[in-house]
Amino acid sequence: MTEVLLLGRRAVREIARYPEATIPTLFIPLFFLVVNIGQVSKTFPSSTPFLKGEGYAAFQLPVSLMFAVATATTGLAFVTEIDLGYFDKLLVAPVRRSSIIFGRLAADLVRGIGASTAVLLVGLAFGVSIRSGVGGAIVIVLLAALFGVAYAGFGVLVALRTRNVQATQSSFLLFFPLLFLTPNFVPFERLSPAMETLARINPVSYVIVGLRSLVIDGWKLGELGVCFAVIAGLGVILTGLSLRVIATYDR
Amino acid sequence: MTATGADETTPSPAELPSGMSNGMDANETDGHAIAARGLQRTFKGGIEAVRDLDLTVSRGEVFGFLGPNGAGKTTTVRMLCTLLPPTAGSASVAGIDVVADAAGVRRRIGVALQEIGLDPVQTGRELLQLQCGLYGITGQRGRERTEELLELVGLTEAAERRTKTYSGGMKRRLDLASALVHSPDVLFLDEPTTGLDPASRMTIWEEVRRINGDGATIFLTTQYLEEADQLCDRLAIIDGGRIVAEGAPEELKAEMGHDVVTVSLDGADHAATEAALCELPGLERVAAEPNALALYIENGATAIAEIVRCLDSESITVGAISVARPSLDDVFLKATGRRLEGSGDDGEETQEGER
Repeated sequence: MTEVLLLGRRAVREIARYPEATIPTLFIPLFFLVVNIGQVSKTFPSSTPFLKGEGYAAFQLPVSLMFAVATATTGLAFVTEIDLGYFDKLLVAPVRRSSIIFGRLAADLVRGIGASTAVLLVGLAFGVSIRSGVGGAIVIVLLAALFGVAYAGFGVLVALRTRNVQATQSSFLLFFPLLFLTPNFVPFERLSPAMETLARINPVSYVIVGLRSLVIDGWKLGELGVCFAVIAGLGVILTGLSLRVIATYDR
Repeated sequence: MTATGADETTPSPAELPSGMSNGMDANETDGHAIAARGLQRTFKGGIEAVRDLDLTVSRGEVFGFLGPNGAGKTTTVRMLCTLLPPTAGSASVAGIDVVADAAGVRRRIGVALQEIGLDPVQTGRELLQLQCGLYGITGQRGRERTEELLELVGLTEAAERRTKTYSGGMKRRLDLASALVHSPDVLFLDEPTTGLDPASRMTIWEEVRRINGDGATIFLTTQYLEEADQLCDRLAIIDGGRIVAEGAPEELKAEMGHDVVTVSLDGADHAATEAALCELPGLERVAAEPNALALYIENGATAIAEIVRCLDSESITVGAISVARPSLDDVFLKATGRRLEGSGDDGEETQEGER
């Protein structure tokens, strides 16, 4: 555990010292939030049934949160370390290889909390109110950050497999279909049948629905439970695969 | 304590590739800091980087591993450091098998690889403190050890700077310090002076001598013959993945059994000069060098008069004629059939003409 904390602290320090690596990841979600609200808010006024009296910004906020936390930053950090030779230095130290990944993911949690808090604050500035209150806002931030940690496993997987910056950067592109084949603009039932089918089999949909429930509905434990289960499942699968790759790295 | 009791990547005997034994006999590792037997590494595509390598390094020795680029030096080091599993054969470091107990080996070794392994975002002090922590040296002890090492490698004043601002020599010294945090029994230095200026190279040499004086065994790979000559108690020359010569530098040079007389051609015809000298008594062989001939001959000093007589009789005028004792470069040439890149010949291919 000590080694995870040591490596995590180093990774957090890296985030703090390279804000230019984090700030651009906030630009896209905030841009989407502003543009989507500007374009669609008249089409979906707060009287729209699925908004339940909230503005469209409240409906969109979870999508922006997901965008803010799903990055390839950790994967890219691994590729850089491999290129620099520091990764070998860590591998040859008497620490568990899994700690090298968990240290980075710990930093992802910190980054995710920071990024989702920033997006949430912008949402509040746009008039979003969180039905589930302050406690709900904290849960939103934590769930979004945890999703970022879970998704980071994919970037790590690509980074360790390919050891290539371009491939690792491209891994982020996969998130676009995952994010847009969801009820991101309208609820499931307002989607076309084909889109609805795709959205219903896309696990990311349930993370959005869970976060959205905290914003628009309040505490809906069923949707929250599914949301958490999806995040946990993604985390276990993607981190598990990353751990497997690092365990057999150069072997 | 951060060091792990068991390493999740250490394969069980049943998981080992065929042809690879799990562990060496106690007799084979006795008294040796490093012992390898039949070590092999074949990469994808069938590239045999290291072939059937046998090696022993005694405790407290500075052992040089000499070879050109691509000879298999780094692959051997990576296998001995547990970064790369052997395809076949076995090896132990500090008496511990590198495959069966990789974590045990890691606790006993320090490693400074060819690519300087530094995190550019951290300061020198932070990097060493982290390294101490990874070896279980935490708290006040970790801070003290960090300061000791910074002092040792002359980086105390630069300790608060990020490592990306360091010069090549400073980076090397910090990398070396980071390999020393736990006072390792065996220190692997993979081309520690490559790319350094002469002054920085001398500093590293002094460090290597001091660390060895403190009792550590040092396994040093290098492309520099002078470095091997200066630092190593024994050395092995590796070429094409195989060890082609092994011994103390002086022994290897003595085994050459001849002197090297260099005849500067200075415009004289190469073939005619070689033909004029090829019947010299005691001549072992002639090697063509850029604008010169190297004569490997017994008793070079007395042979000079005969060389001059032979050239005069053929009316061949040459430049300077010099005599030298065999160097490691000559040992390398004899063992591999070519000069070592970076040994002073700028990597120029030398054609060897056996008499």
